[in-house]
Amino acid sequence: MTPAAALAVKNAFTPEQEKALVAWTKKYPYTNLGLIEALRSVQDWHRQMTPAAAARVAEIFNLPFSHVWGVATFFPTYTHWKTGEKRVGICRGLTCYLAGSDKMEKCLEKTLGVPKKKATADGKFSWEPMECLGACEQGPALQVNDRLVGKATEESILKLKDMK
Amino acid sequence: MTKILTKHFDSEPKFHELEAYRRLGGYSALKKALGQDRKALQDEVTKSNLRGLGGAGFPTGVKWGTVPPEDKVPGPRYVVVNADESEPGCYKDRILLTRAPHQLIEGLLIAAYVIGAKDTFIFIRGEYQNQYDILEKALAEAKAAGLLGDVTIHLMRGAGAYISGLDTALLETMEGKKAWPRQPPPFPTVAGLMAKPTVVNNVETLSMLPFIINEGAEAFAKIGSPKSGGTVLFSISGSVDKPGLYEFPMGTKLRDVLAACGGPKAGRKLKGVIPGGTSMPPLMEKDLDIELDFDSVRAAGTFLGAGGMIVLDDSMDAVEIAHNIERFLTHESCGQCTPCREGSNWSERILERMLVGHGEQADIDNLARVGDNITGKVICALGDTVGMVLKGYIGRYPEDFKKRVKSS
Amino acid sequence: MNKIVKYKLNGKDVEAPEGRLVIEAAKDQGIEIPHYCYHPALGNPGNCRMCIVEVAGAPKPQVSCRTGVREGLEVKTDSDAVKRAQASALELHLVNHPLDCPVCDQSGECGLQDYYMKIGQYSSSVREDKEHKGKRIEAGPHVMLDQERCVLCTRCTRFVDNVTKTHELGIFGMGHNERVEVTPGMTLDNAYSGNVVDICPVGALTDRDFRYKVRVWYLDKTDSICPGCSRGCNISVHANTQRPWHNDGKRVARLKPRVNMDINGHWICDDGRYGFSSLDSDRLGKVLRLSPERAELSWFDAAHEVAAKLKDSSIAVVASGMLSNEDWAAYKALFVDALKVQGHYFTAEPDQLGEEDALLRRKEKVPNLKGAEALGLKSGSFDELKKNLEAGKVKTLYVIERDLTKIWGDKAAGLLAKADMTILQGPNKYALGDSFTYRLPATAYVEEEGHFTNFEGKVQAYKKALAPIGHARPDWDIFALLKKAVIQPAAKVAA
Repeated sequence: MTPAAALAVKNAFTPEQEKALVAWTKKYPYTNLGLIEALRSVQDWHRQMTPAAAARVAEIFNLPFSHVWGVATFFPTYTHWKTGEKRVGICRGLTCYLAGSDKMEKCLEKTLGVPKKKATADGKFSWEPMECLGACEQGPALQVNDRLVGKATEESILKLKDMK
Repeated sequence: MTKILTKHFDSEPKFHELEAYRRLGGYSALKKALGQDRKALQDEVTKSNLRGLGGAGFPTGVKWGTVPPEDKVPGPRYVVVNADESEPGCYKDRILLTRAPHQLIEGLLIAAYVIGAKDTFIFIRGEYQNQYDILEKALAEAKAAGLLGDVTIHLMRGAGAYISGLDTALLETMEGKKAWPRQPPPFPTVAGLMAKPTVVNNVETLSMLPFIINEGAEAFAKIGSPKSGGTVLFSISGSVDKPGLYEFPMGTKLRDVLAACGGPKAGRKLKGVIPGGTSMPPLMEKDLDIELDFDSVRAAGTFLGAGGMIVLDDSMDAVEIAHNIERFLTHESCGQCTPCREGSNWSERILERMLVGHGEQADIDNLARVGDNITGKVICALGDTVGMVLKGYIGRYPEDFKKRVKSS
Repeated sequence: MNKIVKYKLNGKDVEAPEGRLVIEAAKDQGIEIPHYCYHPALGNPGNCRMCIVEVAGAPKPQVSCRTGVREGLEVKTDSDAVKRAQASALELHLVNHPLDCPVCDQSGECGLQDYYMKIGQYSSSVREDKEHKGKRIEAGPHVMLDQERCVLCTRCTRFVDNVTKTHELGIFGMGHNERVEVTPGMTLDNAYSGNVVDICPVGALTDRDFRYKVRVWYLDKTDSICPGCSRGCNISVHANTQRPWHNDGKRVARLKPRVNMDINGHWICDDGRYGFSSLDSDRLGKVLRLSPERAELSWFDAAHEVAAKLKDSSIAVVASGMLSNEDWAAYKALFVDALKVQGHYFTAEPDQLGEEDALLRRKEKVPNLKGAEALGLKSGSFDELKKNLEAGKVKTLYVIERDLTKIWGDKAAGLLAKADMTILQGPNKYALGDSFTYRLPATAYVEEEGHFTNFEGKVQAYKKALAPIGHARPDWDIFALLKKAVIQPAAKVAA
């Protein structure tokens, strides 16, 4: 049995999303060059990576599912747990660690009320430690959905809750 | 102090916009380059002593020279900008992309002309979404102004893997595969993206090109040290009063760099300076008079890297630092080759045990031995780092490690 | 062939074709360089870092699976630095290995064990707990997966990606969390799945059929040819005779492929690999007359009884491509030369036809129809035989190693009954075994030696792995006995 048949992939995406995925196959000079970006879109839409979704992407890209699932389980951007709408990252690179990132991890846990890699009940937030976010001068650096927020402090973390 | 890339950063808040960039001379180098003999331009870059500022320090012109000529290998060739900055301590590319996207685009277009590339790529780490937006806008401006000619600049985002920043792993990532580094030969300039000749250059490296074309190779070389031309950016953090981005001529003394950024912090003693990101073991007090360039830092037993300077002071503990770095490397090891995949995690766990009070003298010896066994026997530089960090910190800070040995 | 160049191997001047991988070139000189990931049919990812050697002039050690021989190359495979590098790579492979050799089927043929004895022999420096991963995962009908024992050499995933192109296994996760896993939604059930067990250098992939049956060091190994189809894949019969109380009394414990680049490369199919159950069950051991009154006969008596009845009878012979070249020659001498039989029926009918593919499997599920063809033997159609039987034209039906119910289904018993005398010769009894007049036990291919001619006309020898069961004799021997009895009936007196 093919994984696509086993995983019931037909309803993985809306028609618009299907169109967007097909667009990634055509954006670059070679089809496969769009795969990482296509999977980023899937992560954005579903806030996680499921075998069914990845199997559909494999069909669209005409790649073996094991290849796509290998990629989908390799890169840290793709999660196998459902992130919050706001995926908060706290940097634990060396500078940020030396600047107290572990304390800010505790602060995030307390403020958002969930352990790392688990979304809040309303699905709005999740947080996780991340590797160097490239903002060492503002360490411990805080980001939301791939955008740098700035230095993590008790105040800046509290403000996260007001984010739209 | 001579500045090239950040010269207008203080005076021109809108340097990221096309209008301001052109007003300050932007895109004149591209205009000058187009139509010139491509080989002559490549020689010019070689003469400038421009070296790869992504960390490897390979002479840029020489790298370009290894691309086989069109009559020998016909078909497309590519230029890829490595904007996958992920090394702990490094954030210079983030600021270059934020403040000077056109400077990069101009450099990229010059490189594309010399290489003969029609399709070019900027591979940017996914966590730089703000910079991605800035680049998209700048590209739209450049395109509207007709500056791109027949060159296409594709933007592509990564998916959170540090190893994607290594050139061959970057190419694998772009091709929609796991970021498992390749094992050259062939090198990317011969068989890179989709097995076509591909030049992979760092953001900072390419951003230097407009200056070199406008002012000439000699002027650029003269700014730097004998074998490393021009300037270098240091993104400085750690125990400093004024963390941030600094541009110095190659060959500036470490002492002067620390003076400029105010490190270590008042009341603290210098413990060491990670020169170019956490993969590079620290320079020590004795190295303060080193003239920082690729070769002198190498002679001091470490690497200039990508300018991610982290100043360490006496409040910091070497075992904690080594643990933090090994934990990072375990997380980021691609898992392809065994010594790195197993060695990083094993080291991390030994260090963790030492941190919670169960260290023994045998652990220190073992870490040094295992580290020595890993470096040089793995597929890529990340694996080498796993061993280098162990040896680097144990060798430099034996007292910190001894303190972690349980007294019987 | 590339030009031959001179290079130095451990200080000795030797030659090899230019570009030949050092790991192979060294093997040509009798030096085995340890390795897990490299496999001649699956490429050289260079990920296990076991095959490290010293190359003069290189700044660091090189992996010999990615270093080509060139003129003047100087390689050392036995220096202290190399030994240390290999021992170190092995140590790192074992950091999280469960070291469960006493309960692991791979024991005795395990790359980790072998290299530990050869180059390791250090005391463990690992004080950390072993990491736990998935165990006893049923990857497919034939293969069991143990992730803890896996060294992530990627041989199995390269096999399903590049050889079968079925992609049922993958390496999922990143870095330290990487695992070989069955691709979600799939089972490792391709027609060649058992090969992943062979290529797994450790005990991560084991054979469900063989698991916990026999320790590999009790197995006797004999070169043979797979009789499963006309490809003629080279196999090794692994027999368990030293500990007969193991393995539920089965003498053949497993079949493994032998490398033959002209025939099967490194692989065999699952049909061939696991299709040996008839070797130890449903066997004929006695020489029997079943009717009119049942009696166990000596071969001598049987031969003369049968021979006497064969003479001047209208005979039809059902045979099959299971016979060896030697068998066919004796067959011809008996049935064609001595008895002038007209009706020979040995084509592969539905009972001996099956799936074929571009890799190895052939449609005809018998090894040696070519051997009959080479002797000029021609087979009539089974429809013709059926008609002749129904018309009562066949007085004697001689069936060699064939199950008639698989050809004629429910009608087989009735058709058999049409003949006055019926003889079953072969290793197995099959469905109608009790309905024949005589039963002559023949050896199975593992109990004899001989040759098969494969579909391309290549003649290959197979050797005797086991003693015959009961009174079984090779088919050629039975034919020869009968022929002698046909020609010299007086010989009976001599007895």
